[in-house]
Parts: sequence; structure tokens; C-alpha cells
Amino acid sequence: MDLPLRREARSLSFCEDRLVIRRILGPVTSRSTYRRWVFLVLGGALSAPYVLFGAVVVPSVLPLSTDDLASAFLLGGAGALVVLAATSLLPPVRALELAAIRELLDDPVPEAASGPVSGRARVRAGAMFVAHVLVGALISLASLMLPAFLGLAFAAPFTGSFGAGTDGPLLVPRGWASAWLPAAFLLAMLLLFHAVAGAGALLTRAAVAWLGPSAAERVALLERRTERLAERNRLARELHDSVGHALSVVSLQAGAARRTLRRDPDTAERALEAIEESARAALDDLDHVLGLLREERAGRAPQAGLAELPALLSATRAAGVEVDSEVRAEAAAVAPVVSREAYRILQECLTNVLRHAGKVPVTLRVAEADGGLELTVRNPVGAARDSARNGGGSGLRGIAERVDVLGGRLRAGRQGRDWEVAVWLPAGGRGGE
Amino acid sequence: MDDNRIGVLLVDDEQLVRTGLRAILESEPDLAVVGEAADGAEVPGLVARHRPDVVLMDVRMPSVDGIRATEHLLSTADRPPKIVVVTTFENDDYVYDALRAGASGFLLKRARPEEILSAVRTVVAGDSLLFPAAIRRLAARNARGAGRDGLRGANLTERESEVLRLMASGLSNVEIAERLFLGLQTVKTHVGNVLAKLGARDRTQAVIEAYESGFVSPSDGVRRS
Repeated sequence: MDLPLRREARSLSFCEDRLVIRRILGPVTSRSTYRRWVFLVLGGALSAPYVLFGAVVVPSVLPLSTDDLASAFLLGGAGALVVLAATSLLPPVRALELAAIRELLDDPVPEAASGPVSGRARVRAGAMFVAHVLVGALISLASLMLPAFLGLAFAAPFTGSFGAGTDGPLLVPRGWASAWLPAAFLLAMLLLFHAVAGAGALLTRAAVAWLGPSAAERVALLERRTERLAERNRLARELHDSVGHALSVVSLQAGAARRTLRRDPDTAERALEAIEESARAALDDLDHVLGLLREERAGRAPQAGLAELPALLSATRAAGVEVDSEVRAEAAAVAPVVSREAYRILQECLTNVLRHAGKVPVTLRVAEADGGLELTVRNPVGAARDSARNGGGSGLRGIAERVDVLGGRLRAGRQGRDWEVAVWLPAGGRGGE
Repeated sequence: MDDNRIGVLLVDDEQLVRTGLRAILESEPDLAVVGEAADGAEVPGLVARHRPDVVLMDVRMPSVDGIRATEHLLSTADRPPKIVVVTTFENDDYVYDALRAGASGFLLKRARPEEILSAVRTVVAGDSLLFPAAIRRLAARNARGAGRDGLRGANLTERESEVLRLMASGLSNVEIAERLFLGLQTVKTHVGNVLAKLGARDRTQAVIEAYESGFVSPSDGVRRS
């Protein structure tokens, strides 16, 4: 009756057995153990000069008696550690550690930047190097000695002696009575595998903590990524709004032209004119957006701030726009983020003037006001394109977003015969930077 | 409109869209553009004055957008016109809101002139759904999980349920009559009962309701689009 059940129970315990066996032998069969081993042995090899320094150079320079082994050992060790710590700060050490970790510890810090780094990052990389060398030295020592002892232990039941130690071979009884020796060393060997796997895991975690980006770097990285994403979304929306919209009008008017061509040539002609205009406007918009994209790809350099305003103004004047500018604010008086955003807002305003009103005279003011920065851009409404488009459009939305992020105020609209964009930004930005 | 033509009111903040639509609509003898507005705020006055049969309504407009104008029109005007939302992009979140607000369908600005013409005639006739496949896609995108009772509260008869399913799949009254071996008048009665039981203004609202409640699922498939 209960046969199937019992068989199930047996297979279950069989499963558990396999699990235990895998636990025990896992590090022996896992490839990563061997890669970690190479990493640790590399650390051991790197420790050789320091050991040599502690064991040979320090005792030969310092007046130490040969009897006082303990203090010679202490002083030598301390000397070696000091030199190790000092050399760990050398610039190539970080690159070396990163390369070794990437190759042998399965690259736990993919975002770590190689190349020149801050002093603090170098210290942290030094700590990684020291840990690597010390742990590596211990494991390497064990890796050299244990296999030799294992060989001797297997020989001991036959020869009656365990050939180790400085005082001649250790005598053991022959036969089964000494069978525990090889067993014990086999166990030790197994433990060594576990130690290698464990030390490797430990150093992997250390690498993440010491070579990966610090919390501040991580935040900066995230901010950059978010910024890029926001910019991309903005461009997508701009394309969507301008080009997508214009193409809709083109297809609609083309349909109208097709259906009125014979009966009502005047309407058809007007439709064709609208198509021509819309297509041209769409291409202008496309130019603008593609320009922004190219700028973004090239723009790894730090973003311009208010200090670069004179260059922007002369570039705008070179494009044929007459700019009357008055800047009564210190670029240094506002937070960098406010300075950058103010620059971008003014840039967008000037671009919008060119796009929508053409080459008309522009009045631009930058002043400190209400504990913040006031930007005003004013231009006469152009006759050329204004009827085709309704007011500000996408450029103004970009400005509104920037203002919103900083917690500022935006006012845009007609002032008599002029179009005016007025922006106030708090000097410190929202929450500062 | 005092003649037999279908009167259309154009509401779009962009003049080029209005002139394009006007030229297309007026190329047909049975359609007449009775007025134009550049903003939703002008709609109630123009509707009262011209009594159009259909309003082609842009979604995004400067002061009163198409959704608010639709809601307002349907709640205040007596015998309100059919409303078709005109949009640049199908996956505009506002389109679905406009349909929920009571619009009878939507139309892409890039649609062929022939599609635009047939859309206007379809919503006026009211006996089949405008672009059922597009409505199904929108319903799939906007499907809500909560409160789906599959229209159990509406107490539809088996026949009415069947008719609603076929309405959702895009069949017209005539096609439903053929499919179910019923008279056209009987189908019309069933459709009328379904609308009444769901409290729906027209076919589109009933179908939207059917999707939202889970009575039909967007994956059920549409036989005709």
C-alpha cells in the first residue's frame, strides 16, 4: 500500500544526499575555484619581494642577534608590511588589481573606471592590493605544503616514518594503525579547496567594496544616466510633436489636394502651398533635433554655464541676430546647476527666436533678483512664420521643464507687439547640488 | 442643418488641419462644414447656432481640450452631435479618455480622405463601430484590472450578450442580423436594449464598457476592421 510513498521518500533522501555531496565536493569541481586559486597564487607571488625584504633585508640592516628570533620575526614582518602598504599606493597597482579581478574573479565590478582616479580611490585600491597579497600569501603557502604532506602521509603506513620536521623523520606504526594519516591530510586538502573558494569569495566582495564606484560616484553615475534619459525623452517628444505633427498636416493636405485638384484648383493650390510650408518647417525642426543629438554625442565635455554666455551671444550675433544684452549677475554667485540651466534656457530662447521669428532684434537681460536669477528674453513677433505655428511650442516646453525642476517661475507670452520669456530661478537651485 | 446634408463642425487649433479637413469634406455633395473653431471653448456656442450632426474634435488645444469639450457638450446640449476625436497619433493616452468621455470614435489625421469621409458617415448612421480594431488595441492598452464583473450587473439576456459581442467585433446591424438569422428590426431592438441596460450613449460607449468590464477581452479577436 505505502510502497509508492516510501519510494518517494527514498528518492527524496537520495536527493538530499546528493545535495550534501555537492556541498562538500562543490569547490573541488567548480571551475571558479581554480580561477580564484590562480588569483590567490598571484597574490602569493606578489608577496615574495615583501617576504624577502622582511626576512633578508631587515635583519641584515638592523643589529639583531641571531638568538632573538621572535623580535627579528616581528621587526621583519612589520618592515615588510610598511613597504607593502607604501607600494600599494603606486598608481599602476589599481590597474593591475582591476585587470586581475576582471580576468580571474568574473568581473564583479564592471562599472569600475580604469584610468586616472582620485586619491581616495587609490587608497581603497591599495587596501584591496594589501588584502590580496596577504590572503594570497597564506593560501599559496598552504597550497605548496599540503600536497607534499599528503604524499608523505600516503607513504607513512608503508614506510613507518612521516618524513617531515627538522629533527628527522617522525616515526609512526606501520600498517592500518597509521591509516588515519592519509585520511586526515585528504580532509585537510578538501578544506584547502574550501578555503580557496571562501577566500576568493571574500576578495570578490572586497573588490566590489573597494574598487567599485563609491556611493558618491554611484549617485553621480545615476544622475548622469537619468539626465541622458530625460534628454532623450525630450528629443523624442520634440520629434513627435514637431515632425510627426507636420507630416500629419502634409498627408491631410495632400489628400485634400488630390480630391479638389480637378474641381477646385484654387483649393488644391492652397493645399499644395500648405504642404510645401509644412514640409519645410518639419525639415527645420528635424535639423534642430538632429543638431541636439549630435551635440549630445559630442558633448562629453562639461556643460556650459553663464560664464560662457558671451560666447553664446557672439555666436548668435554671428548668425545675424541683433542682440541687446545686459548681464548684471555674477556667474559665481549662483549654484553651478542654476548657472548651467540658465545658460541652456537662454540658448533655447535665442534658438526659438531664430526658428519662429527669424532675424529680429532681441533684448536679453540677466539680473540678480529676489535671492535668485532673473532671465528675460524679448523680441518683436515675426510676421513670417507666426501664423503657421501657435506660439511657443516645444522649445518653450523644454524651458518650462528646466524651470520646474529647479523650482523657479516661468512667464511667456505677448507683451504688446513683442514676445517675452521671463524666467526666475532660485540661486541655490532646489535642494542645491 | 435644414437640408439633407450631414453638417460637420471642425475643432482644431491648427488652421492647416481645418482647411485640409474642410477641403476633403466639401468635396462630397452630402457633407457640409457648418463651422470651425480653434478651441474647445468655442464649441458650445457654435453647436447651439449651427446644430451640426458631427463634431471633428482635436484632443490637445490651448485652453479647453477635446476631452473637456466632449464631456461638456454631451452633458449640456440636448440632442448633442456625434463626436469624433481627431488625433495625430493613435497611441495618444487622451484618445481613450475622449472615448470614455463619450466620443463616438477617433480618426487619425493621416487617414486617407476616403476613410475620413466614411468615418463621418459611419458615426452619423450609428449602426456600426468606427475602426473596431483600433478600439480593441486601445482597450488592450488601457485594460483595468479592478472591478471587472463581466457586466453581470447589467442583466443582459443571452441574445443581448451575443449581440454585444458581435458589436464589439465590429459587425454592423445588418451583418449581425445575417449572422444570427434575425430581422434587422429585431437586431435594432436588441442593440437599443443593450445600450439602455449599460447606460451607454451609443455603440462605442457600450463596446468600451464591454471591454473594461471584461465582458469581452481584447484578445477575443475582431472579424472585421
